[in-house]
Amino acid sequence: MINIENLIVRFDNTEVLQTINLDIPEGTWSCLVGPNGAGKTTLLRTMLGMQPYSGSIKYNGCEIAKNKSLNIAFVPQRPSIPAAMSVAEYVMLGRAKLDGWGKESAHSRNIVHEMLEATQLLGMQSQLVNTLSGGEMQRVLIARALVQEPEVMLLDEPTSALDLHHQIAVLNKVEEIKATGVTIISTMHDITLGAMYAERIIIMQSGRVLLDGESQSVIHSPELRSAFDDRISVHKLENGRPVIIAAKRATGLDQGVI
Amino acid sequence: MKKNQIDRVWRWQITASAAAALLIACLLGVGFGPVNLNFGSIIRTLLGLPNGLENEDRTLLLELRLPRVVLGALVGAALATSGAVYQSVFRNPLADPYLLGVASGAGLGATIAITNGGGDLHALLPIFAFLGGVLAVGATFLVAGRLFADPSTLLLAGIAVGSFATAFQTYLQQRNSAALRPVYSWILGELTVANWDVVKWAGFYIFIALFVLIRISKVLDALMLSDEEAYSLGVSPQKIRLIAVAAATLATATAVSASGLIGFVGIVVPHLVRGLTKRATNRSLLSIAFVGAAFLVIADLGARTLLSPAELPIGVITAFVGAPFFLFVLRARNRGSQ
Repeated sequence: MINIENLIVRFDNTEVLQTINLDIPEGTWSCLVGPNGAGKTTLLRTMLGMQPYSGSIKYNGCEIAKNKSLNIAFVPQRPSIPAAMSVAEYVMLGRAKLDGWGKESAHSRNIVHEMLEATQLLGMQSQLVNTLSGGEMQRVLIARALVQEPEVMLLDEPTSALDLHHQIAVLNKVEEIKATGVTIISTMHDITLGAMYAERIIIMQSGRVLLDGESQSVIHSPELRSAFDDRISVHKLENGRPVIIAAKRATGLDQGVI
Repeated sequence: MKKNQIDRVWRWQITASAAAALLIACLLGVGFGPVNLNFGSIIRTLLGLPNGLENEDRTLLLELRLPRVVLGALVGAALATSGAVYQSVFRNPLADPYLLGVASGAGLGATIAITNGGGDLHALLPIFAFLGGVLAVGATFLVAGRLFADPSTLLLAGIAVGSFATAFQTYLQQRNSAALRPVYSWILGELTVANWDVVKWAGFYIFIALFVLIRISKVLDALMLSDEEAYSLGVSPQKIRLIAVAAATLATATAVSASGLIGFVGIVVPHLVRGLTKRATNRSLLSIAFVGAAFLVIADLGARTLLSPAELPIGVITAFVGAPFFLFVLRARNRGSQ
């Protein structure tokens, strides 16, 4: 269980995160949603130990910043891609915290092989990471996160640079990871997609948690529209799944069903 | 490679091969010149065995060629290693002690030391050169606007800072005509001044810098990633970055103050080693140091023998090799980003 209590993060006397309180059960997928500047990425960075904060972030009762053995994997929105580094070498970096930097046990090389296979990258291990497509790079990032054998996985906009086909592939993979007991916290702009996969949606605005709850109840709540300044519209597909689209486009569509 | 394992990221055999290349380069460096020395006799002399070199040949080996080769190796190792470290720290494959303005800044610092003369110049030179290098790299990043500016902005800023430092250095030289000759002989970038005294003080600083860099080399891989990724892998990047830049700048500054301005080693050697081994890890740093040392020893051999009995400045040889190589890297990089 991750318990965030009275979390405040300041940049130059400005509170960019204002008294955040969240309880995130183990093995669940929570999706942070909100406009740019809402504080989603700052919350992830704080959980990684990058930002000084007041309040507490605990994992199973132990403060995250003090728990050096806790393994939190991070899948960035814009990774720094080293030139001349092969896929295998890049994924192997994920073992550094467990093995120690510069060490590469046979067990680790087995796990990297296994995760490359699981992410359909096995034939590409010698390819340089700076020559990969967006979809391939995202799979490499997920493979690196997986070899960390993390308790928690943070994903910052994991689908933002991908076409729909690759978005679904990546999210399906994350769902599989969650099923193994890893706690997933992701940020996503697309609430519809977020609600399809995450069981919990946390709407953030101006450094605060505006809405927090089970995905279906959040996207049907009236506060959701106000969080986006009434610029969104919620519709239902014939199979009952909700779709959230920009209000301007929604104008003229049939009420309720598209 | 076992069927269900990936290949090893690094193999000790690569480092051993680089060390062997350095030994061979050193042997060639001490053996060839206007007077060629027998390799067997050289080895016997160095190992203190009977039937070694005698008289003038012995003096030529021990007092002229050997300190020169050792200094060349130290300077080559320093420049190549700091180039590789700058490339990782600034996540920029084109970063190089010269292109970042570090070397010109160190040159300016060294010129200030020479023109103000007096005292133990050799001990002061690296300190002044180090301060000049630090100021220059700071100015480059200030001009570029941020730490991880895009490569072209960073390089243009480095060129501007380097040009400013060189202009100021020229002004100082002209104002202090008495110091013109020592400054010029130093600027040309040569190892002719090598003697055991220079080797001792340059070796002291370079060994410290390289020891630190090789000690942190494994963690340096984390700096090639974003700060968030580094944190998730248990590394706090700011501290490592500071240590790495300070040590690389000390190595560069000492190399510049010992041998003048010798360009391109910091870009040619790391790319050569990474290209040949097909590995980007900084665990290659020791190999890069060995190959950098070998590269400069061979370049100096070329400088001594190509126009014998006259000598070419060693910087001419490294630029001949380095400039086309730099363009090759630039082109490959642009292709990769398309």
